[in-house]
Amino acid sequence: MLKDTLALFIENRKALFGLMILVFFSGVAIFAPLIAPYDPKTNKVDVLRIVDEEMDRTTTIEREKIDEFTERRVYTQSIATTYERVTTKLPLNAKPSREHLLGTTKAGQDLFSQMVYGTRITLTVGLVTGLFTTALALTLALVAGYFGGIVDDIISLFTNVFLVIPSLPLMIVIAAYITVRGVIPIVLILGLTSWPWPTRILRSQVVSLKNRDFVRVSRVLGEKPLYIVFREILPNMISLVMASFFTSTMAAIMGEATLEFLGLGNVSIVSWGTILYWAQNSGALLSGAWWWFLPPGICIALIGTSFALMNFAIDEISNPKLRKR
Amino acid sequence: MNDNILVLEGVNKHFPLNSFRMRGKVVHAMDDVSFSLRRGEVLAIVGESGSGKTTTANVISRIYKQTSGRVAFEGRELSGTMSRKEELKHHKRVQMIFQDPFGALNPTRTVGGIMERPFIIHKIAKDKRSVAEKVYNILIQVGLEPPEQFTRKFPHELSGGQRQRVNIARAFSIEPELILADEPTSMLDVSNRMSIMNMMLNLKERHGVSFIYITHDLAGARYMSDRIIVMYAGMIMEIGPAEEIINSSFHPYTKLLKSAAPAPETGLKRKPLITGGDIPSLIDPPSGCRFHPRCPFAGESCSLEIPPMKKIGEDHYARCLL
Amino acid sequence: MIELDRSQMTPLLQCKDLVAGYRIKSGFVHAVDDVSFDLDRGGFLGIAGESGCGKSTLAYAIMRLLKDNAIIESGSLIFKGIDLVKLNEEQMKKIRWVDISMAFQSAMNALNPVLSVGEQLIDAIHAHREASQSNARDRAIEVLKLVDIPRDRFDSYPHQLSGGMKQRVMIAMALILNPELIIMDEPTTALDVVVQRTIIEKIQELRKTLGFSVIFITHDLSLLVEISDTLAIMYAGKIVEYGSSESLFNSPLHPYTKGLMNSFPSLTGRIKRMGGIEGKPPDLLKPPDGCRFHPRCPLAMPICRESCPSLEEIADRHSVACFLHKGAEAQ
Repeated sequence: MLKDTLALFIENRKALFGLMILVFFSGVAIFAPLIAPYDPKTNKVDVLRIVDEEMDRTTTIEREKIDEFTERRVYTQSIATTYERVTTKLPLNAKPSREHLLGTTKAGQDLFSQMVYGTRITLTVGLVTGLFTTALALTLALVAGYFGGIVDDIISLFTNVFLVIPSLPLMIVIAAYITVRGVIPIVLILGLTSWPWPTRILRSQVVSLKNRDFVRVSRVLGEKPLYIVFREILPNMISLVMASFFTSTMAAIMGEATLEFLGLGNVSIVSWGTILYWAQNSGALLSGAWWWFLPPGICIALIGTSFALMNFAIDEISNPKLRKR
Repeated sequence: MNDNILVLEGVNKHFPLNSFRMRGKVVHAMDDVSFSLRRGEVLAIVGESGSGKTTTANVISRIYKQTSGRVAFEGRELSGTMSRKEELKHHKRVQMIFQDPFGALNPTRTVGGIMERPFIIHKIAKDKRSVAEKVYNILIQVGLEPPEQFTRKFPHELSGGQRQRVNIARAFSIEPELILADEPTSMLDVSNRMSIMNMMLNLKERHGVSFIYITHDLAGARYMSDRIIVMYAGMIMEIGPAEEIINSSFHPYTKLLKSAAPAPETGLKRKPLITGGDIPSLIDPPSGCRFHPRCPFAGESCSLEIPPMKKIGEDHYARCLL
Repeated sequence: MIELDRSQMTPLLQCKDLVAGYRIKSGFVHAVDDVSFDLDRGGFLGIAGESGCGKSTLAYAIMRLLKDNAIIESGSLIFKGIDLVKLNEEQMKKIRWVDISMAFQSAMNALNPVLSVGEQLIDAIHAHREASQSNARDRAIEVLKLVDIPRDRFDSYPHQLSGGMKQRVMIAMALILNPELIIMDEPTTALDVVVQRTIIEKIQELRKTLGFSVIFITHDLSLLVEISDTLAIMYAGKIVEYGSSESLFNSPLHPYTKGLMNSFPSLTGRIKRMGGIEGKPPDLLKPPDGCRFHPRCPLAMPICRESCPSLEEIADRHSVACFLHKGAEAQ
């Protein structure tokens, strides 16, 4: 069953295209050190050159008589090498060129390297948050949807209350107050503000599946509730869970970029969001340094597109009526 | 000699309505339903939508618990609260076949995976091999041969008739005492229906199972059953031996059902229906006899009180003041 | 001297060798394969068949409502002297609903849930005719009255009506421009038996007063035998038996017809075990060679595996496509 679904997924052109984009960016993230020509944070380049190599004219000889006919001589000569270390500062605010494919920032950092390394943080935060959110939403949805009653009432109440709170202001408030800066707080903040929406969606599907005949049959056969939840209901939700995961991941990527852009994250790490932060801070828009703020924007859009395409593909697979013959 | 394996006495099932507008009101899905099922017989429950026939099956199989009234199966009372062990025992004895062959099968599981479950839940077979044997055995009995091929298929790879055979196999597999079949052929192609109905009769003989057959089709009920119950708007209107209900129907509703059913052998010339009208609301059912607004023979007293079941003939009762 | 009214003698609709189906990745599915029948003025033709036999495709083909990858490949549909197959969409629009209309399967889905019943009827009028708002409204009320729906239901929404009433609205919509032919695709299948009978009675009554012809498509053969004048039995895209319903009921010739008749338990007479038919309908993408029914036929002969029998008239108003009943013609 799973194999068939995966096969269908890969056959679908949209999914394939989206998947390729994702794979491309993942590759960039994994092989970052090999791809990036410069250290993303540095604004200098050190070049070490040998200026002079001088051989000492003096040669000391050590003689040692071994016997009547044999003499051992050891010659020692030293070489003095003079190095020159030239530190070139990278050009500031440079347009894209052969040395700097995406140009440099105002502080002289190579933007291409930044984008490459930034992919790591962006993708990691996105995927981890997506996973966390989806897992939380799925658990709550299964418990609330299947068991119903007061458990459902309580969980739904919480969900609806959190749903109404606008997530962006909430994120900003939380981020502004916490003292620990870093990636993990961002993951937590994003996760804790975006779980209500998928919870609602997944719960609806659990409820509708619960009322399907084959679940009734299981109950009449005497199946245990836990078995029904995991082996009858959950497998029928795979496509929705995957779609939920993609949506959450995309939202997390956007959320991370937003938080970083507002300066609420850790601005010393390199991610697409922080690139935008520094771009904004240094007036890149005003000075027309398009190579600074365009690349992160375009890449975020590309990843968004990739997830959206994969989502469409999942829709088509799970709803055969949408498939084109 | 009490040969009844199932007894219902005065069973009511009311569903409360949740909306603010309808607070305090209930849906009268079943009212004062009483009958008994003899061991080994086929009892048909005939009715249109809203008659309460499916709800009755759901109460007997414990998908719903009755609001009030007595349900006893093999002498044991089925009350609102039963322990998990008791429920499990009940499920081993009472099984159900649903109307939609495809909806009753989990689309993500193979036929083999689906068929194994009853044996595993009720600990009938010990190891994988004996479970597989039993699965093959029952699949052969329902005509799905070779069974090894079928166990590997998914529901969407089967035809409607084959799916229903799987459902039937599943119901019979754990040798229950009672099987409830809720319109098992109405979603099948016409040419399949007969073989499925015959197969159910054969299996019933072979396994010694008592059967409750729920349908809206009077002719099908006559073909399958020994006794027929006619239900309308949640209440039993008439109950009796199949032939008597068909040939000497007493209740005006039974007569209406009979005249509405297609019967080409009557010479293709038809008398018009004795009455029209619609099935009443179950939230505010008519007072007294629920059929009285549509009944051409209704008298004054028909709207005052619900008529009690009256004996018409041997084993034949009707809820009518006529 | 009695003058023969010639116009009354030619059939209202003549379907000749119609081939229609739809294109899928692996080929062309012939849902309607070489179908021919005649429908007289004021007549009632019943088309019986199971799922996948092509009857719905036939209905939509007559209305020229086939969509997307479904097309009419060949054949003709002569309606009052005009070949419908040759018309373009503009011309067909003039005929659709005005001369030929359709009551669709499952009224629950065919009615728009956000428009009132009255609005939908008025829409139907405006879509095919120029009419003033008040005239359209009057006509809508009139036609609702014809199907026994009280005037106060004009502004009701579909969900406020019972299944039977929704179906009657469908029929009213089909009648609204006084067509000569109404095609009904399983109009009573989802309804309770009493409601079904009421609707059938209403249709018969309206036929008597308004005089339209009906093509009634269903899988319920026992119902069809009672209500049709002429009956066509469809199997795997072809008509296998065709004739007056009395003739077909009293002496069914095709093994499939016999099997179908044997699938309906009766309310009268002795109870006996009945047969039904083994197997399932074939895949229309790759139908069996020869006679399409031969894999399931208890009386199949060697010739049935090789060639496909054509519809032949055996008795007055009774044709069958079966080698068991080939006349003097050798094959």
